[in-house]
Amino acid sequence: MFQLFVKMRDFFRLCRFAPLATGVVLLFALATGAGCDTASAPDRTVTDALGRSVAVPDTVQRVVPLAPNLTELAVAAGGADRLRAVTVSDNYPPALVDTLPRVQTLPVDYEALVQHSPDLVLATDQVNSPGDADPLAQMGVPTYFFSFDAVDDIFTSIETLGTLMRTESDAQARADTLRRAFDALRTATESVPRPRVLMLVGDETLYAFGGPSYVHTLIEAAGGTSITDHFESAAPTLSEEFVLQEAPDVIIGLFEAEAPTEHLLRLHPTWDVVPALQNDRVYTVDADLVSRPGPRVVQGAYRIATLLHHDRALPAPPSLRLP
Amino acid sequence: MRTTLCWSSLAAATLFTLGMALSLGSTNISFATTYHVVVYRVLEAFGGASALASPDPIAERIVWGLRLPRVLLALLVGGGLSVVGVAMQALVRNPLAEPYILGISSGASAGASLFYLGLLPPVLGQALSMPLAAFLGGLLAIGIVYLVAYTGTRLSVARLLLAGVAMSALMASVTSFITFSSPDPGKLRAVLFWLLGSLSGTQWGELIPPLATTVAGTAFLLVLARPLDAMLIGEESAYHLGIPVERLKRALILLAALMTGALVAVAGAIGFVGLIVPHAVRLVVGVGHRRVVPFSFVGGALFLVWADLAARTILPEQELPVGILTALCGVPFFLVLLRRGSYGFGGS
Repeated sequence: MFQLFVKMRDFFRLCRFAPLATGVVLLFALATGAGCDTASAPDRTVTDALGRSVAVPDTVQRVVPLAPNLTELAVAAGGADRLRAVTVSDNYPPALVDTLPRVQTLPVDYEALVQHSPDLVLATDQVNSPGDADPLAQMGVPTYFFSFDAVDDIFTSIETLGTLMRTESDAQARADTLRRAFDALRTATESVPRPRVLMLVGDETLYAFGGPSYVHTLIEAAGGTSITDHFESAAPTLSEEFVLQEAPDVIIGLFEAEAPTEHLLRLHPTWDVVPALQNDRVYTVDADLVSRPGPRVVQGAYRIATLLHHDRALPAPPSLRLP
Repeated sequence: MRTTLCWSSLAAATLFTLGMALSLGSTNISFATTYHVVVYRVLEAFGGASALASPDPIAERIVWGLRLPRVLLALLVGGGLSVVGVAMQALVRNPLAEPYILGISSGASAGASLFYLGLLPPVLGQALSMPLAAFLGGLLAIGIVYLVAYTGTRLSVARLLLAGVAMSALMASVTSFITFSSPDPGKLRAVLFWLLGSLSGTQWGELIPPLATTVAGTAFLLVLARPLDAMLIGEESAYHLGIPVERLKRALILLAALMTGALVAVAGAIGFVGLIVPHAVRLVVGVGHRRVVPFSFVGGALFLVWADLAARTILPEQELPVGILTALCGVPFFLVLLRRGSYGFGGS
């Protein structure tokens, strides 16, 4: 009886290590398996925006982006047919993303991700942590990181994606179109009087864009001056006093509100003396056109320009329908 | 004599605090402009403002529309939370007790965040529904803690504290789950800001529920000062002194849930005020509740006004959640007090 008990005890002690052992075996199988199946011998080593060296297969065929703007950029670069999955937050272009499987990326659902056996994963340091790439690297899946500090980084990333996916000519054409459209807007608003613009992310808690953001360039191209470009932090929480003292001429909200002026006045009654509220110049803009660094920021800039200068002739916004 | 000295120094400290809190802030407004606004508005209320030039409208809105209601709310919330701390410490005869330790604050936060993210219907309109949801959440949490701790005829203090800590963790997980699975990412950061405790954006109209509950609750505790003193000696002795001990305990629990609910709904979760302030006060004025209750109220009120002043001046033109600061300045101060003082807590 006692011996049986000892044997059982030893057996259970061993059992404790069973999951670990299984895990090690599985990981090994995954690492070797994933390496063999998907990546044909990598023959290119590229350097991404974070300075990491990434070994990329010669012809990238199976791409999974880890953020919605990367989906839009990959499509703009002519790689719509290379996408194998998108994130749970993707919504554009609807005709494409609604047909693709979805993967959770915050935090990354690695199991779901490797099921699509990507040969290239796209990431951005604004959404994804560089550490997210390590488990993927162990399984032989390369991750390319993008960074979007300035508007031009967005156009350049389309060209980069073209190089990665070997769709250079499509990507170049698209990037040129976007650059020309953006420059045309800049030229058109060069000599207009510039209203002082406050761009708000939050309506009640006053999140805004700080100095390091490309959003100020969008506002500038649209013929305005952003009043939050002197903050050091990327996402400052403004005080109500700041808005009263700065007295912006126009407020553009990335939130949803039926009647934006009344909405802000209800949340911040002391703002009744702010010119933007007095002159009923509070507008809302689709947040995806501004806060998502993708090809549609050009549309965002044109949209802001029509709000700031509705009484002036502006160039027609480019047709940016993504395939 | 000592009490008179304490009161007069507190009165002076209150005046100084109000003066500083009104004239300092996120933007620069001179002392002269600040007092011009205050004097003008006070005179206007009595119909005698015509003698003065009307102040700059922007300064007027900053001082009278943003800073004053915010300072008043800080007074109410800080005072209220300290007084709830006093009530809880008398209830469990344990210096560790505080609305946070007993799960009331976490319950109130869970209730309020359910409402804030639109998962509960607004029954009485925004102004009252959120305090109501917070009160019900707090009451539910402390009710469960109470049921767990209640053994047949009496309340086990050890069980109350343990159940409180557990309930607090459970309710915090509920809040995390609600916020994490929120359908509206835009509201998420706003909820986070509020959960960390913030007095920003206080409007005059929002002062009424916290004012009513805090004043009523503090008055109630002042009336109960003698029974609360008796509780410190021990429940048995209090019972033999003719105090309805169990009824008193239930009343204290209900009061704590009501006050914490009203305060959490407007200011979010501001921690450590209810723990630190009553202890600091006892070190100065002793343990009698006739003095501990009012001094804790004033002490907590002043502490939170200063913490909030720091929250709105540390980063120029920006806001910080004040709950971060109450913990950052409060806890080290508390540890020093504990280390130094020959600290006594009533009978124990």
